[in-house]
Amino acid sequence: MINLVILVFVGGAIGAMAREFLMLSVPNLADGFPMPILVANVVASFLLGLVTGLHNRRAVSDDVNTMVGTGIMGGLSTFSSFAYGAWVLMNGAPAGAAVAILYVLISLVLGYCAVFAGLKLGARGTA
Amino acid sequence: MQPLDVMWVGLGGGAGSLLRWWIGRVVGERYHGSFPLGTFLINITGAFVIGYLSILFGVDWRDRYGTVLNAGVLTGILGGYTTFSSMQLDAAKLAGANRPGLAAGYLLASTVAGLIAAALGAGLAYLQH
Repeated sequence: MINLVILVFVGGAIGAMAREFLMLSVPNLADGFPMPILVANVVASFLLGLVTGLHNRRAVSDDVNTMVGTGIMGGLSTFSSFAYGAWVLMNGAPAGAAVAILYVLISLVLGYCAVFAGLKLGARGTA
Repeated sequence: MQPLDVMWVGLGGGAGSLLRWWIGRVVGERYHGSFPLGTFLINITGAFVIGYLSILFGVDWRDRYGTVLNAGVLTGILGGYTTFSSMQLDAAKLAGANRPGLAAGYLLASTVAGLIAAALGAGLAYLQH
């Protein structure tokens, strides 16, 4: 139990710090489109799918799955900033609502494709 | 960005992730339906709190660091607590279990409820101003 606590805590810390660095290196687009959050969420979705696919066929251990899947990818991706960012955009400039809807739809579709591709790749194996 | 900001983001992210993991376990022990209720509740409550705190303390949504509040709490704890990737994995699992309608409904319900929760959190903070 205490091992799981440590794995989730350390993983979550690594993931959140990686998201922070990503936000510093990926700029927001000119119309306010939250590109950094989109990139963090889509990358985390892909890698979560990958580790889950690998774990399903026992290519990685339970501990690795907990630290990477629950910890790092949970910390890297964020739903709170996703939802709040979209809401702020909707309440900003008139064009903001269109950007917000585009942002939400692109996030959902790309995120789903990413997790699906990760699962497939993990199930098939990389080697 | 200062090293201290990185530390707050890391500590918050770890704490938020632990809270997510723990709530997921508690919900999973009590609810056995096919709807991914744990992740749904986690994401909606996180969206409410980020809306509330951002307006209450006047934090711009693009300011991710600089104070304990935006680095440790908003980026760290709430970012670690809520998860976009697990939501997508839940949906992919539902679709894989021949429940594509439920998968799409879950993604849609999470997004709409998340937007409403963020708006309600912000609205509550405006009321207190």
